[in-house]
Amino acid sequence: MTSNSQTAAGSGHDALPDKQSEIMRKAIRLEWISIAIVAAVITMVGLVMGQSQAMRVAWVEDILALLPPIAFLVATRVIRRGPSRDHPYGHHRAIGVGHLVSAVALFAMGALLLVDSAIGLLMVDKPPIGMTVLFGHAIWAGWPMVAAMLVAVPPMVVLGRMKLKLSEELHDKVLFADADMLKADWMTGLATVVGVLGIGMGLWWADAAAAIAVSASIVKDGVTNVRAAVTGLTDARAKTHDDKGPHPLTVEVEEKAREVPWVKEARARVRDEGHVFHVEMFVVPLLGMDPTPAQIVELRTTLEDLDWKVHDVVVAVVDELRPEQVPAD
Amino acid sequence: MSARRSTRRALAAAAALVVAATGCGTFPKDSEGTLDRVRGGTLVVGVSEHEPWTSVGPGDEVSGSEAALVEGFAESLGAEIEWEVGPESILADEVKRGQVDIVIGGLTSVSPWKSDISLTRPYTKVKSEDGKQQKMVMGVPKGENAFQVALERYLAEQEGEIR
Repeated sequence: MTSNSQTAAGSGHDALPDKQSEIMRKAIRLEWISIAIVAAVITMVGLVMGQSQAMRVAWVEDILALLPPIAFLVATRVIRRGPSRDHPYGHHRAIGVGHLVSAVALFAMGALLLVDSAIGLLMVDKPPIGMTVLFGHAIWAGWPMVAAMLVAVPPMVVLGRMKLKLSEELHDKVLFADADMLKADWMTGLATVVGVLGIGMGLWWADAAAAIAVSASIVKDGVTNVRAAVTGLTDARAKTHDDKGPHPLTVEVEEKAREVPWVKEARARVRDEGHVFHVEMFVVPLLGMDPTPAQIVELRTTLEDLDWKVHDVVVAVVDELRPEQVPAD
Repeated sequence: MSARRSTRRALAAAAALVVAATGCGTFPKDSEGTLDRVRGGTLVVGVSEHEPWTSVGPGDEVSGSEAALVEGFAESLGAEIEWEVGPESILADEVKRGQVDIVIGGLTSVSPWKSDISLTRPYTKVKSEDGKQQKMVMGVPKGENAFQVALERYLAEQEGEIR
């Protein structure tokens, strides 16, 4: 005796509300700016890079920093398409796919650099940094490297913080991963500066050690993000944008449903489709108070009005809550 | 915000490090102290014959444009030269093991020994017979950055790139 209400994903519903659309536009603009700045940094660091392993690792990390913005821009384009017969759930999951793609790239690159740097250290590969001529003056080539890193850090940090704020408002995990990576970038920059200065002080291992520290942080970023992306894609309970805990809405929808007079018990399965949630609400009516279709539709609308993120709600009226279908806490 | 404060603190630390690094004497330093050892002592130069850059006479006397450059460099350091004639492959290995300080012999920036030894910045460019541009370099031990910078500076001065 299940009765499904019609799916909620109609016209208008698929678009984000005005406030979120505005934030989305801001985020898209920010990502384009981000790509431009990162490209400039890549060029600058590439020009002065030389043979320092730490510089090379930092440079690759800067290139990797392009991935999340690109994944974000592609995903936002894809999710504009509404649901269709072939894609009944819509295209919001593109966010999750983008997240996974950039996370795997992050992890693979980090692991590669980690191994490379460790081999350099074990093989006692001493990085040579010679002289360069700048405007007719001879200077040690390490100085332009240090300068390039110090110039690159502040814009990355600022961009990271701006994106972090937007990612929370948009419930966008790609944007969050991106912000997180950029925020970690100042550590990369600093470690690289320490490595290059270490070479200058005759401590050949400082460079490789800095490179190892930086690539280890890339690997950590990669693992965290792969885990988060996989969790999302395998229909785990919807989490907050930073994956720190269950999303409060997963509890709120159940509480809201229980407030309805004819509802005896209510439990939901809430999954994260990327930006928006898909809610399957199982309700047991009180004895002798079987709901009419209108009452079921009303419940659905109530839930959808709770938050813009509650996007697609299906209400199922059942005679009991089976744990194998809707597990309890 | 605490994150912003820690960022600022980190940048301040980096700035302090730069100041400290520049403050304490010569920069860069060698990891094995080659420049200090050579100054007023002996400069071991590996030579592989490659006209017109280097040529080796019947009595193992070394001449050629690169030999002349290295002689000038040794003089600037008050060092005696000890020539070591051999093929590039063996000399590269000896540089790697710290037995030879400089290797010369018409090396270019695309030398296959790049992973074992450090190539100086090109001191001059020439056109080879097939019309390709070749950047002439010398080889020094990796990580001996003070020594490398001293040689590169001398070569740049000789070529009139800097005064």
